[in-house]
Amino acid sequence: MQPSDIITVNLWQIVVSLLNLVILFLIIKKFLYKPVKNILKSRQDKLDEKYTQADKYLSQAESTKTELDKKLNDAENKADAILNEATANAERRKEKIVGEARDEAESIIRQAKNQAELEMKKAESEIKAQIVDVSFELSKKLIEREIKEEDHHKLIDSFIDQIGDSDEE
Amino acid sequence: MDKEKNQNENTQNEITLKFKIIDILYIVMMIAPIVIAITLKVLFTPGGDGVNITGPLIYVRIPFALQDIIITEAQINSWLILITIFGVCLYMTHGLSENPTLKRQHFAEMIVEKAEALINDNMGDYYMSFTPFIMAIMAISAFSSLMSLFGLFPPTSDMNVVAGWSILVFGIITYYKLKCGPLNYMKEFTKPVAVLTPINIISEFATPVSMAFRHYGNVLSGIVVSVLVGSALQGLSRMLLGWAGGFIGSIPLLQVGIPAILSVYFDVFSGLLQAFIFAMLTMLYVSGAFDLDAFMEYKRKKQEKKNKKLKIKQTNLEEN
Repeated sequence: MQPSDIITVNLWQIVVSLLNLVILFLIIKKFLYKPVKNILKSRQDKLDEKYTQADKYLSQAESTKTELDKKLNDAENKADAILNEATANAERRKEKIVGEARDEAESIIRQAKNQAELEMKKAESEIKAQIVDVSFELSKKLIEREIKEEDHHKLIDSFIDQIGDSDEE
Repeated sequence: MDKEKNQNENTQNEITLKFKIIDILYIVMMIAPIVIAITLKVLFTPGGDGVNITGPLIYVRIPFALQDIIITEAQINSWLILITIFGVCLYMTHGLSENPTLKRQHFAEMIVEKAEALINDNMGDYYMSFTPFIMAIMAISAFSSLMSLFGLFPPTSDMNVVAGWSILVFGIITYYKLKCGPLNYMKEFTKPVAVLTPINIISEFATPVSMAFRHYGNVLSGIVVSVLVGSALQGLSRMLLGWAGGFIGSIPLLQVGIPAILSVYFDVFSGLLQAFIFAMLTMLYVSGAFDLDAFMEYKRKKQEKKNKKLKIKQTNLEEN
């Protein structure tokens, strides 16, 4: 068991050492580098997949949101339109009813007025006749002899006319 | 329900137990080679005092063609290192999962990613397949040099070991140089001026030699300096305490602690630095040996030639 010299060159030793390095290279490649790389790669793949999925879901959510917004807008517009229409309808009906009522009231009033006028005229003429008759009788009795019947009539008529005039005023 | 739960727990425990047993096996695989190496060293190294710097012990000598096949301490130690590194690899990649729970997985991923970053920085994307090779060079060199921490013979201080690695690297360099065609390879030697051809050839062969000697010399010089300082300290402490004679005189007072500081530099720092330098040089030489643009150009020209030949053939056929 003797030690070798400090500097020796031995071909076979060199070859063995060369092969050692090659074997170590294979070991590290197979048992360290490849497994770790595979794990890293699969993790990256998973991550990428998750990201793409997230992007997809995000875009989907956005499109749904715009759709829903659009729908909401439409619904609001529709509601507004319906409300407006209803209000307009109600207004129109109200006006119609009120107008009808007013017309009816006016016609009733007019009728009443006409009737009243008619009655008044009738009453007037009646009163006139009565007044004429009464005054005629009265005056006949008071001044029977002095005035003729004709003159007397004339006088009373003019008097009544005056009364009528003052009534109309 | 309880039974099922118990069963589940049992199976889980079994899995973890199995896992632990395999872990322990790997750890044994990592540590056992070092223990074996230390035992061998203790069993076979002849004791000696004073300055005694020798090469590796020769265990077996087999007569063979050209030169005897000798199996030395360096060989044995590097095989043991291979087993240790194998154990480390297996231990680190044991229980890999996409959602890592083990610290060792982070460590393994860190190593791989750092190595890839190093390759990417120094060589470029094209050489990413070199990562395990560079990792192997770094690992074997660093582990070999660090063996001297245990008082073992570091295989890197045997020139034959390092020469083997540098010859492999030289082979790779030459392979990459030949990728652009043998003619280009020849032309490269006459590059600046034709007169420089012999010097270029010498420098070509100097590459592996310089790599081997640099690494081997650094580690060996560390050992030599350590031994010299150690024996000097021994002498000094004898001078200090020798007058007492007997037991007190044999206390190696100055040899406590001081060699450890030297060991931190020569064994740890220098060993790791040399590993890094060797890997770095490998990367630089390989990436320098091969011009990607030139290679593409060469490939394109080759393709063109092929196409021309095909065309000529076709025209000949048509004429016929």
